[in-house]
Amino acid sequence: MSKAGFDFSNVIRNGFLEAKGIPLPKATSTGTTIVGCLFADGVVLGADTRATSGPIVADKNCEKIHFISENIRCCGAGTAADTEFTTAMISSNMELHALSTGRKPRVVTAMTMLKQLLFRYQGNIGAALVLGGVDDTGPNLFTVAPHGSTDKLPYVTMGSGSLAAMAIFETEWVAGLSRDAAIALVSKAVQAGIFNDLGSGSNVDVCIITKDRTDMLRNFLRPNEKVEKERRYKFARGTTDWKKDREIV
Amino acid sequence: MSNTLRIAPANETKKATLKDTVNEHGLHDTLRYGPRTLASQHNNRSAIQNRLENWEQTQDDLKLNLYRNVYGLHAPVRLMMERKLVSQNPHFPALPQSNVHLDVLMGRDTTLDVSDFFGGGDPGPAFVDIHRDMEKARNIR
Repeated sequence: MSKAGFDFSNVIRNGFLEAKGIPLPKATSTGTTIVGCLFADGVVLGADTRATSGPIVADKNCEKIHFISENIRCCGAGTAADTEFTTAMISSNMELHALSTGRKPRVVTAMTMLKQLLFRYQGNIGAALVLGGVDDTGPNLFTVAPHGSTDKLPYVTMGSGSLAAMAIFETEWVAGLSRDAAIALVSKAVQAGIFNDLGSGSNVDVCIITKDRTDMLRNFLRPNEKVEKERRYKFARGTTDWKKDREIV
Repeated sequence: MSNTLRIAPANETKKATLKDTVNEHGLHDTLRYGPRTLASQHNNRSAIQNRLENWEQTQDDLKLNLYRNVYGLHAPVRLMMERKLVSQNPHFPALPQSNVHLDVLMGRDTTLDVSDFFGGGDPGPAFVDIHRDMEKARNIR
């Protein structure tokens, strides 16, 4: 029976190689700025869109706000594969749970599933998540760290750009913001991460969750559009000679 | 099944056994499982491997011990009796089995785990050695 999940069949080989002086390759963790804040009617989540692989930008427009259920979304920082897989699994489990209880899913349920999974793997799943949503108990915003610890806070930031974004939140967040003020604040915080942290960049994604609807504003701001080149570099037809003309059917 | 209320599996007492890899002569089956040294088996088990392998068993032990402490010995005994009844499977044991009734009793019917969507890519040959599998399943050897 093939077991899925972590595979330990190479542990002995890796131990031997390390004893010989060949270290394990480091799993690259993506830099990110992900933020969330409560406002008067619900929760606003924001994220940048850059995925890095070491010093190289692997994806200029990736999506970091993942779907958990209709009224719950989760932003993911850390190893990209881990955040994708973890949020997809929790989303499936939440759907089954909602079907079996017959109730709208709650944010604390998703938070508990995530924290129990991450605690079981003792931080080997590198996923730092910002989980937010509106359920029957009201708007909720949580952060889940890779080792399984959680915080329930009115405004949160995670990722390599979290310090830049948290500076914006600490200066300007107040309770009971309006929808537009909350969106402006979240975009400002994500932009602080984009411009001041090398691991974050490209565009700003924003997601607004209220009791009745969820709006996913993909690429809400594009402060890093590629500038149009000033000269034309196309060659005109006839620049080079052609020697043979053959039609291939 | 231990009597303590552990939440996470204990650090394992390391041991090197032949139980899983023994062939019909009573030695380690090098042809089937590869070379073996006592030192590598003993020293190179990571803590996370032990934790993951024993996680569900530990959680189950915790629940049953709590039931025993609160309700008395009969509560875990009845639960385990039901599980044993449901696990008796007259079908050909070497083929992959799925037991929905056991999943319901263990509380797994409304959850998805990693093994439910990973690991099915390349199933390999159906039987490596039918006789060995049957002997193992019927506890003959």
